[in-house]
Amino acid sequence: MGWFSWSSNANTASDGGRIAPDRSSREQCYQGRDMFFSCLDRNDILDAIKDDKEARRKCGKEIAEFETACSRAWVKYFKEKRVMEYNRDKTIERIKKEDAAQVQDLKAQGWNSR
Amino acid sequence: MASTMRPMSRLLTRASRSALFPIECTAPRTALSSISNTSSALRAANNGILASRSFSTSPLCLRARTMGQMKARHSTGPFSWKAALLFVLTGGGMIIYFRVEKERLERKRVAEMSKGVGKPKVGGPFVLKDLDGKEFTAEDLKGKYAFVYFGFTHCPDICPDELDKMAEIIDKVNEATKGENIFLPVFITCDPVRDTPEVLREYLKEFHPGIIGLTGTYDEVKHVCKQYRVYFSTPRDIKPGEDYLVDHSIYFYLMDPDNDFVECIGRQDTPETATRTIMEHINDWKREGKPLRKD
Repeated sequence: MGWFSWSSNANTASDGGRIAPDRSSREQCYQGRDMFFSCLDRNDILDAIKDDKEARRKCGKEIAEFETACSRAWVKYFKEKRVMEYNRDKTIERIKKEDAAQVQDLKAQGWNSR
Repeated sequence: MASTMRPMSRLLTRASRSALFPIECTAPRTALSSISNTSSALRAANNGILASRSFSTSPLCLRARTMGQMKARHSTGPFSWKAALLFVLTGGGMIIYFRVEKERLERKRVAEMSKGVGKPKVGGPFVLKDLDGKEFTAEDLKGKYAFVYFGFTHCPDICPDELDKMAEIIDKVNEATKGENIFLPVFITCDPVRDTPEVLREYLKEFHPGIIGLTGTYDEVKHVCKQYRVYFSTPRDIKPGEDYLVDHSIYFYLMDPDNDFVECIGRQDTPETATRTIMEHINDWKREGKPLRKD
């Protein structure tokens, strides 16, 4: 059914190329991803690759839908992206906090921004 | 530049003339005291004119008929509200004019950065095929502003977003150029093995019918990516049916009608800011009277 199974003829263009997901199948994939990720959020799982077993046990239905709607490469990509974005946001937050602390520190020493 | 400067200088002379009237009129009575009454700043600025005119232009004084009028003029000095208004308007006009000029020169500098010798060169000759299998080279980009994007159809989320943005930009630019057909949006695939013409056609159709899809052999694509300094990670030998993603740079490249690189449009740009940047360059080009191909 899914376009990810390259072996089926429906996913091969007449000139031999593999047909890319169109807008509606991309949309389906994003929906599957969002469902799966919100289940991960509920169960406090961040890395669905490292904690694959845990994720499958707690979000079995969601991961099955996600993997049906998206190709294998995309599933892996989105799982990795989730971890990457989490770390990125945390880093930004940390830097902001450090910055604020430094400003406080400097102000305490009588330094002015102007 | 000259055309905008001329009316401005006319305004300035008019302003100074009206500002001088009250001073000139009091001259025959007591030239010395009138001079000492005027503001020192204006006197310093117009010293030469004042000294020569205050004694010779007495007929002008007839305009002030009564002592009351003369006093009224005297009390306000050279600073009437008209003079103040002119001063503010001229000053404001100059500031705006210089800002606009500065921005234009800055864009020109950016646009010309990639011209000449010893400059970083983005873009260059390439040979690819369009979706009808016809040869498409860098020469085909010339004469129009080209908007080049690299991507691949199996891209998960960033490229579709960027292509939606591209479609919006195309519509906005076409609207702004009133359908002159001087804007050429191009999509070059980084994944020629999977993105055959038919696949590309189906894919691009969903975004905008005006996008020109280009593909080629692995080496041709690798060459054009190198020309445009695009990093990509497409594996060379792929087994049929293998599923993979391609890492690649995600920028739009704006190329001028000489096919020189002008500017990058990135993820941070909205369709609005991108269109503004593009239209500024197109309008600069037109203003300089350089040729464009409108076929």
